[in-house]
Amino acid sequence: MRTVSLIDVASYMPRQVVDNEFFLNGDDEHVHAMFRGVKRRHHVSADESAVFMIDQASRRLAEKLNLNLARDVDVLITNVTCPDMPFTGCGATVAHALGCRPKWILDMHNGGCVSFIQMISHAQSLMTSHNLKSALLCNVQNSAGRIFGSVENRVRKQARIPGDGCGVGYFVANSESPVMSVVHRNFGEYADDMAIVRDDGSQWWEPSTHAGYVDFSETKVADIMARANRIVPEVIFEACRNAELPVNEIDTLITNQPNRIFLRNWREALQTPREKHVQTFERHGNLFGAALPICIEEALNTGQLKNRSHLVLGGFSHAGDFAASAVIQWRPA
Amino acid sequence: MQTFQLAIDNLVGVRRMENCSKEEMTGLAMEMTHAVYPHDQIYGRYCTIQSHIDCPPEKAFEYLSDVYSLQEWTFSMRDFSPTHDPGLVTAIDRIGGETTIYTRTIANREAMTVDYHCAWDQGEKLWMIYLMRVVPAELTLNKPGCVVLWTNCRHPFYDENPYPEKAPTSRKVWVGDMWPFFYAGHQIELENLKHILEYRHANSLPMTVGGAS
Repeated sequence: MRTVSLIDVASYMPRQVVDNEFFLNGDDEHVHAMFRGVKRRHHVSADESAVFMIDQASRRLAEKLNLNLARDVDVLITNVTCPDMPFTGCGATVAHALGCRPKWILDMHNGGCVSFIQMISHAQSLMTSHNLKSALLCNVQNSAGRIFGSVENRVRKQARIPGDGCGVGYFVANSESPVMSVVHRNFGEYADDMAIVRDDGSQWWEPSTHAGYVDFSETKVADIMARANRIVPEVIFEACRNAELPVNEIDTLITNQPNRIFLRNWREALQTPREKHVQTFERHGNLFGAALPICIEEALNTGQLKNRSHLVLGGFSHAGDFAASAVIQWRPA
Repeated sequence: MQTFQLAIDNLVGVRRMENCSKEEMTGLAMEMTHAVYPHDQIYGRYCTIQSHIDCPPEKAFEYLSDVYSLQEWTFSMRDFSPTHDPGLVTAIDRIGGETTIYTRTIANREAMTVDYHCAWDQGEKLWMIYLMRVVPAELTLNKPGCVVLWTNCRHPFYDENPYPEKAPTSRKVWVGDMWPFFYAGHQIELENLKHILEYRHANSLPMTVGGAS
């Protein structure tokens, strides 16, 4: 495999900030432990499509790095929680909006909350097999505004957890901030424990007056928790081992941020001090796949992510059907 | 009845369906469920271990309730001999050099519990209590054999020897110094017990060797 480096990240956060009053499902003290801890989150508005968010974040990134978008994007990969259109991904529209001419466009849909890591692998594979230089990886979480903001859904206990945002990362085939290891694990047996449902039982493509929402199998809650407690530390340990990085030398840990209990448990399992585990759960909620690039930007902005340090990414998707981790040596030179 | 129940539900820290919703209960469960636990949090005040042993519970009970079996499956208790006090035996606990250890075994065949009441250096106050229970695996695990449960409670004497004058003068170590290793030490001894019982049962050998060494 060619060595690829994460050069930088940028984000776009939707204009509308929603506080807990919006949800009409109890104050924070009285909601279920699993759904506590978010003070506010962003919700996309109707005019903030996935394409628009990626366009905004990518232009910021291009400006930061002085990129020529027409020339400097060989691979474009997107992962959008709630696609602008069924059937088609938004990658082609994004390329057109940005004026990119990528050799490869991939719209992915199975990486969930750790799709950023999955995209790193795909970018690295494509860059290796096709001798390409650069990749733009785009993560959009937009299910908070599109799904949980609806009048019907905002009373649901889980409605306050998701928050929207877009994070993009730029990768180049060089050794500036090399990806040292990537670990993926698929657990197909857990795939059906999360579903998009409607209260009338209809499928998403069927006509209905009911709003769809994301739900987890209630009988599986304890099991989902146990598997998340297990598989996320496991993949992170393995990625660190492959990178020959002792776990106690993780300088910055960034995971997906589904709830504060998982954040606590993963940090404890890795014995990573709280200040090294960068997360924005309180003000952004669960950013799904966008959490990784958005929190990398947060870590850079706050100065937590320093040159010559190790950045470790990890997490799991959906109800545990996919887990991944990556170790990045941040600007070693 | 109702008055009693009300009183119970008003007790601080009592959580039952009557005063705590199922939702609240799940929330608490999540809060309390961590991915990992520090060793001290699990084994700091109590040390409970357990193992499945492929040997009928009656045979395991028979072996455990014979105090002289301790010279086989423990790591360091040797040279057993009876005392003039019936039921009280002495041995040398070689982990403490020339330390004499006193043991009285209190077994209950019906409950299949075997409690070893022990102490280093003196036999008047037997404060080191090893609580063991044999459970039929047929009932609890739907498989042959038994499960052996073993609990120790951290008596304050583990932290400070109350009879220093009775210790051998040259001895530097105190049994309680090893509390942080109790999980490991006892686990190893439980493995010994498992291997011995499984071997004797599988080969239809007598379970106990009988009597002092």
